[in-house]
Amino acid sequence: MSNLKLNETPVRTSKNFNINNIKLENVNIPKNIKEFHNTNILTQSSKVKIDENTSKCKLTYGLGEILTNQVNEQANKNLKIVIDNKIDEEINVEFLFDNNNLELTDNIEIIANENSKATIILKYTSNNNIEAFHNGIIRLNAKSGADLNIILVNLLNEKSNNFIAIQNALEDNSKVNYTIIDFGGKNSITNYYSNLIGNYSENSLNTIYLGRENQLFDLNYIGELRGEKTKINIEVQGALKDNAKKHFKGTIDFKKGCKNAQGNENEACMLMSDTAKSLALPMLLCSEENVEGNHSTSTGKVGEKELFYIMSRGFNVKEAMKLLVRAKFNKILENIKNEELKNNILYEIDNRLE
Amino acid sequence: MQDEKYQYKVNEIYGKEMTMSNKLLEIKDLYVDAEEKEILKGINMQINKGEVHVIMGPNGSGKTTTANAILNNPIYMKRNGSILFDGEDITNLKTDEIARKGIFMSFQSPEEIPGVSVTNFLKYAKNKITGEPIKIFEFKSELKKYMEELNMNPKNMERSLNVGFSGGEKKKNEILQMLVLNPKLAILDETDSGLDVDAIKTVSKGIEMFKNKDNAILIITHNTKILNSLKVDYVHVLINGKIVKTGKQELAKEIEENGYSKFK
Amino acid sequence: MSKTQINEINRNIYDIKNKDEYEFKIKKGLTKEIIEEISKQKDDPEWMKEFRLNALEVYNKLELPTWGPDISELDMNEIATYVRPKTKLNNSWEDVPEDIKQTFDKLGIPEAEKKSLAGVGAQYDSEVVYHSMKEDLIKQGVIYTDMETAVREYPELVKQYFMKCVPVYDHKFVALHGAVWSGGSFVYVPKGVKVEVPLQSYFRLNSPESGQFEHTLIIVEEGASLHFIEGCSAPKYNKVNLHAGCVELYVKDNAYLRYSTIENWSKNMLNLNTKKAIVGKNAKMDWVTGSFGSKISMLYPMSILNGEGAKTEYTGISFAGKGQNLDNGFKVIHNNKNTSSVVNAKSISKNGGKCTYRSLVRINETATNSKSSVSCESLMLDDISISDTIPVNDIRTDEVEFSHEAKIGKISDKAIFYLMSRGLSEEDAKAMIVRGFAYPISKELPVEYAVEMNNLINLELEGVIG
Repeated sequence: MSNLKLNETPVRTSKNFNINNIKLENVNIPKNIKEFHNTNILTQSSKVKIDENTSKCKLTYGLGEILTNQVNEQANKNLKIVIDNKIDEEINVEFLFDNNNLELTDNIEIIANENSKATIILKYTSNNNIEAFHNGIIRLNAKSGADLNIILVNLLNEKSNNFIAIQNALEDNSKVNYTIIDFGGKNSITNYYSNLIGNYSENSLNTIYLGRENQLFDLNYIGELRGEKTKINIEVQGALKDNAKKHFKGTIDFKKGCKNAQGNENEACMLMSDTAKSLALPMLLCSEENVEGNHSTSTGKVGEKELFYIMSRGFNVKEAMKLLVRAKFNKILENIKNEELKNNILYEIDNRLE
Repeated sequence: MQDEKYQYKVNEIYGKEMTMSNKLLEIKDLYVDAEEKEILKGINMQINKGEVHVIMGPNGSGKTTTANAILNNPIYMKRNGSILFDGEDITNLKTDEIARKGIFMSFQSPEEIPGVSVTNFLKYAKNKITGEPIKIFEFKSELKKYMEELNMNPKNMERSLNVGFSGGEKKKNEILQMLVLNPKLAILDETDSGLDVDAIKTVSKGIEMFKNKDNAILIITHNTKILNSLKVDYVHVLINGKIVKTGKQELAKEIEENGYSKFK
Repeated sequence: MSKTQINEINRNIYDIKNKDEYEFKIKKGLTKEIIEEISKQKDDPEWMKEFRLNALEVYNKLELPTWGPDISELDMNEIATYVRPKTKLNNSWEDVPEDIKQTFDKLGIPEAEKKSLAGVGAQYDSEVVYHSMKEDLIKQGVIYTDMETAVREYPELVKQYFMKCVPVYDHKFVALHGAVWSGGSFVYVPKGVKVEVPLQSYFRLNSPESGQFEHTLIIVEEGASLHFIEGCSAPKYNKVNLHAGCVELYVKDNAYLRYSTIENWSKNMLNLNTKKAIVGKNAKMDWVTGSFGSKISMLYPMSILNGEGAKTEYTGISFAGKGQNLDNGFKVIHNNKNTSSVVNAKSISKNGGKCTYRSLVRINETATNSKSSVSCESLMLDDISISDTIPVNDIRTDEVEFSHEAKIGKISDKAIFYLMSRGLSEEDAKAMIVRGFAYPISKELPVEYAVEMNNLINLELEGVIG
């Protein structure tokens, strides 16, 4: 059992605000990672090259040295995905945790070559009643003109630990869209870093999270705009029940030289119990004049008027709440074109709101 | 383009009525780019004192570009040609210098300036234009008079310039500024668009109040509603960056009935 | 073409340096002996001496902040923490020594006192040299005096409140303040008394390589109201000066307090100030802050909404120019039902200056049915400056309405063109937009101060667009 201090923000603020990092007590970090066999890679396309020749991870931010080193030294799943062309079919990678596959340290490297296009789904699920451990790193390099759509789905149970560090480098005219469905884990800790180096590169990150019981979400999202006319858009929608807790740290950093860049950040948290807690630090850092940066945050209960309206149409409170949560999530869920996956997520929303 | 050809055009359009002393604005062979795209492709036009001119044309034909080019908006690039005002070359003057020479533009979408009240702004601008100190009492009563004529809510005077104004209020506010600043040439860029019948009447009334034999008006519009209540001397049809026809008020009628297709 | 508005004022009035004359200046550094000497010089009662020595111990234990601007250039061994001017406390300007009086004259203090204030306090280096209040307020039981007099004459009140709202262990510079504090104002407004005209204290630091550590303690009793204005300035020296003041405000049930600050310290000043208010039931605390001076500023006024229905508003602007790092903001803790907070923060960065808005909104479990809305706007005037927004929103219960908005950008080219089309030069157009940007803050100030603020804005704009 270890005590960990993870996920440092790029800029510190007062210690008393308890948001510069996340401290986890008594987390089971396995010393010797066992094997993991339940990986299912589904792709129809012959245009994608998948092998295990990943490089060593060097992360600008990351969750912390312990976790990064673990992936570098003990990864039990290496996955290098190289995309050379435009691929219409989704690339599906599924990891299923069960009694024989409890620990996963995955090192995923995605290289999207010039003008290529693809959708990649990474899905993590677990059987009930096991204590899974996931520590993964995803690195993505979008070469000029590449267009990538990444869907990351965390449907682990609420006893597991989920650690993910993401690092994206975007070259000229590239477009990278992330949709993150963050539902599972006793602790779900994510570090997301996008480096928009290329001119006209665009990154959008859309997340929905849903917390219940004693779940803890720590989201540390960082976008650095360096190229001219770059754009980043971070949209986070979440709901918290019971004693669930969420820390959202979102940083948009306009670096010198990112002329005419735009950055938007919107975070909304719906509190569904008086013991749920939302802590947020939406940062805008700016060293360039000719930019446009906006962020907005809102936190509160489900609107009583909305609730009343829905209930007046014959729904009970629980049903009405579900409907409203779904409504808030809907815009982000629209990014998922795979109907089966979407239904799976909708089922999970209903299930977790029970 | 050769001078001869230009001279021919001017004569053709204005005939014998043209006298040099009356000449207020003259645009010669104007080529203008916006965002690296060629918009105006050789515009010629002359406006004399006491005249009301109208530029009509479909969306994207270059109407707003013409207005902005006259005021030398830096985002538009003049590639060729010149603009003379009162006999003086103003082609490359700064916007504020042009304004102080006596050209006013009513904006299609006026900017919102938070924290600056309409009254204070107008006082300041009037002082800049006239170069004379403003007599507060006279200024306020003048303002009040114009606002009554324009059916404006007097409370708007203390509000921030255009902030939270409805579309109609913004347009009336532009006309109010025109009346207060009293330019020699007023350019009204789509001042009528998006307005209901009553508001158009009020705006027309403002224009009538402004008009006299020593000033001139250039109206830019894509519909003809406002022309029903205004006497117009010349109508220019602007299509794809060129003036394809100039005529009298009847030309506007013709466009109202048949649209622009025959000019394309 | 007129640029009169920009050229009218002159930085010189803030920069007048008087000769470094004093009656007593403590040697530089921070030791137990030095604290004991200050205590002796100030003729402290025993309890205050003990208080100071205890604060020094706390100071030595606490660490420097691990966040925010780099203040490593501050060396307490190079700062004299106590400088007593060559005069006692006076209640007539006539009795204030000529050079000191002239300084305040040029800052317009006696003039403002005549025109628009109900009382004035003026501090020069470590001691208050002038204090006066209108007769009728004295009759109503209002107390407005320097802090030393309060310690002597109202020991029970002072003991009850002094450094209770801001405890010495809050952070390192509060502990420092506790050890070396000197000067400042004490205001007591009795139950139900409404002070209609503002009181003002002005703090002037003249002595080089020294610090000012004034303590302001204001108690507004139930149903009473007050507007208090604080101004500060100093001439510029090459080595750093330190300001570590402390403001403690007690706003009792149904009371109202507005605390306005125009901060114009010189650009060699480290302004590490602490301000806190405890707000009672249905009471309201308003902060209005204009921050123009200082080399480094770390200042986050705080409202603690303890009473049911307590309200607070923060309206602030920072303007950072060359060599300035202004790390300012606001903190609010909602502790009770139906409380509300409204924040309207603006900043302007130019010429390599850095503005940071740093904040905390905490709505605790006990603060059901509370509301908070925060808006921050930052203006970048060039591409060598920096503007950061670092707000923390800590929401611990569901029955709340919380929203936060922030924007960063430059002056819109379209707006400049619009104003220029009305005859304003580019410089005038920019200045007008910047003044308009600051207007929501300047309109909250009494008119003379709004004028001063606009002048400061013009002064700051000079050079970039003047």
